[in-house]
Amino acid sequence: MILVNRETKILIQGITGRSGLQVVGELAKYGMNVVSGVTPGKGGQEVEGIPVFNSVNVAITEKGKVDVAMVYVPPLMAKDAALEAIDSEIPLVHIFVEKIPILDVSKVLTCANKKKVRVLGPASVGAISPGEGKIGSIGGPDPDKVFSKGRIGVISKSGGMTSELSMLLSNAGMGQSTAIGIGGDLLLGTNFSSLLLDFEKDNETKAVVAFGEVGGSAEIEAAKLLSDGMFTKPFVIFLAGRFAENLPKDTSLGHAGAIVGLDFSMDDKIKMLKSSGALVVDNFEDIPKVLKKLIR
Amino acid sequence: MKLYEFEGHRILAKAGIESPFFIVCENLEEVEQARMRLSFPIVAKVQVLSGKRGKGGGIKVVSSEKALVDFCRGMLGKNFSGEEVRFISLTRKINIKSESYISITYDTSTKTPFLMYSAEGGMDIEELQKNNPEAILRVEIDPLNGPKEKDLKKLGNEKLADFALRLWDAFVASDARLIEVNPLAIDAEGNLVAVDAKVILDDSGLARHRDLEVLPKGAASAIPTQREIEAKKIDEEDYRGSAGSTFIEFDGPPRIAGEAGDIAVLASGGGASLLVMDALIANGGKPANYTEYSGNPPAEKVERLTKITLEREGISGCLVAGAVANFTDIYETLRGFAEGLKQVKPRVDFPIVVRRGGPRQKEAYEMLTKLGKKEGYDFHLFGPETPISVAAKKMVELSVAYKNKKFSS
Repeated sequence: MILVNRETKILIQGITGRSGLQVVGELAKYGMNVVSGVTPGKGGQEVEGIPVFNSVNVAITEKGKVDVAMVYVPPLMAKDAALEAIDSEIPLVHIFVEKIPILDVSKVLTCANKKKVRVLGPASVGAISPGEGKIGSIGGPDPDKVFSKGRIGVISKSGGMTSELSMLLSNAGMGQSTAIGIGGDLLLGTNFSSLLLDFEKDNETKAVVAFGEVGGSAEIEAAKLLSDGMFTKPFVIFLAGRFAENLPKDTSLGHAGAIVGLDFSMDDKIKMLKSSGALVVDNFEDIPKVLKKLIR
Repeated sequence: MKLYEFEGHRILAKAGIESPFFIVCENLEEVEQARMRLSFPIVAKVQVLSGKRGKGGGIKVVSSEKALVDFCRGMLGKNFSGEEVRFISLTRKINIKSESYISITYDTSTKTPFLMYSAEGGMDIEELQKNNPEAILRVEIDPLNGPKEKDLKKLGNEKLADFALRLWDAFVASDARLIEVNPLAIDAEGNLVAVDAKVILDDSGLARHRDLEVLPKGAASAIPTQREIEAKKIDEEDYRGSAGSTFIEFDGPPRIAGEAGDIAVLASGGGASLLVMDALIANGGKPANYTEYSGNPPAEKVERLTKITLEREGISGCLVAGAVANFTDIYETLRGFAEGLKQVKPRVDFPIVVRRGGPRQKEAYEMLTKLGKKEGYDFHLFGPETPISVAAKKMVELSVAYKNKKFSS
């Protein structure tokens, strides 16, 4: 398993907001250790027994260090919130927020890079190591309906498809080591390739399944990693959004990063993935069947 | 959001970048008026969002009144690269000594902005990259502090370095995703002039530029349909979750994707919506639109999107589909769908296929079943055990049956 386990300590920024309140309960139910919360101006309050502070700095001084900061604030406040967590050198900053302006994201990722802080997201649903722990809103109130413990790594830009893919695997009797929604934005802190490197090192993970899509370079970076021999386990990928190839260049779809004609075409992706040794699956529902053959 | 050239020039002008004097005309009367403020030769340029205007004959240097009027009459209101020409800009012709290329955009690998410059301008950057990649100079930009002085020195002269800095100012001030000036001209006096301006704004940045004076654009084309405009408003007025910020209506020529579709799509999720569309098309269905809602939007937003999507003539089916949701409340969002559905006029009689899973899906389906019985809607509800592709196939079959019945009676 990667990124999150039973011991992971969490701080939530924007804990008193609509989605913040929702996620606190879900994490508690999954047995996660939410140490503190932050909402400027609401220091001194409590949410489900968790103390709220005015700043990340104070929260850490009062309640101790955490492994993950989860950013659940409105889009135009997300940059400042994330920078606060990065300044405090919290090792992993998970940004759930969608629709953060690209310039803000670029600033956040640049600072994170300097401080050696890892960012998951923006627009990431989170990560779950089934039966062990989770961060973010992945699996919602009832993760066990979809996720099960096992040995397959799951990655997708899309939160919904991370779940859908994991459910497909669970129903076929294949559990997941860790499932991660990396987020659909144009610029992302954690991409397919950095997770593949983690999965390569993770002994529990036998194979990785990914849901790729039109636009961007995430799939190409993964292909390069495979070609360079830096990821050696079976890698199965499904690509969605072929219909969009008939739309004018620069059209952007549901995900901010799904931009037609950006970086690589669907055919480029398929070609590079195939020649790298990845298994490109045409039918989504065939994934378990294909995987079973590979890891037998 | 991709801008028209003339809108791009206005954004550059705010950063002190010079463009040749131009006047935008919507009809021949305006062309007539504008002509009096310019002297021949005049450069007439159609204003469309597709590139390749030059190659496609959309830019013409005219030296007489007749040539000008002929060109404008032949273009205004006509189809250019699948897009209706609504504007032509009449531009002063400048004496160009040399043409170069300059742009700023984001690198998705380094996650930072970068500037590209080439002394060879006028052609596509893709062509340039293929033919003469050594001629392209790349300058990395720190998003926090802007380009470094020593890096800008690489451009070779102070005027160019100053231009690059202004371009960066424009990029930041407008929250752009891309600014490209090609050609960037050096005129007889040695001044740098932006002869063209391609600007794509970051849609997520628009929230902090409410005062920006640009025409509304469609998700896939220059001229949005009424539905696309209405759908976009939903998110602009409420940031919680998203519903309809991307709404593409597939509608006969000159719009994209050829013929009009007849299956209304209300997909959920940026990833699943792609799968839904692919599956629908793979099974022979023709989507009337692409749209999606996600991120747990309140019921009212889904209600509005439903009404906009379904109040269209010639619909023979509606597919509401998404992956197993993590945190989107299926009851709330489908309650919004039901509310919207009830308001659609004329009353919906075509089949509706729903495929969803996630929080409160059971309650949601009970609610829909009850509503279907009471109001006589033709619901076909599928849970997460049914793959999206199977639901899409079912949708196509039901819509074919609906059409057969309707046209035979």
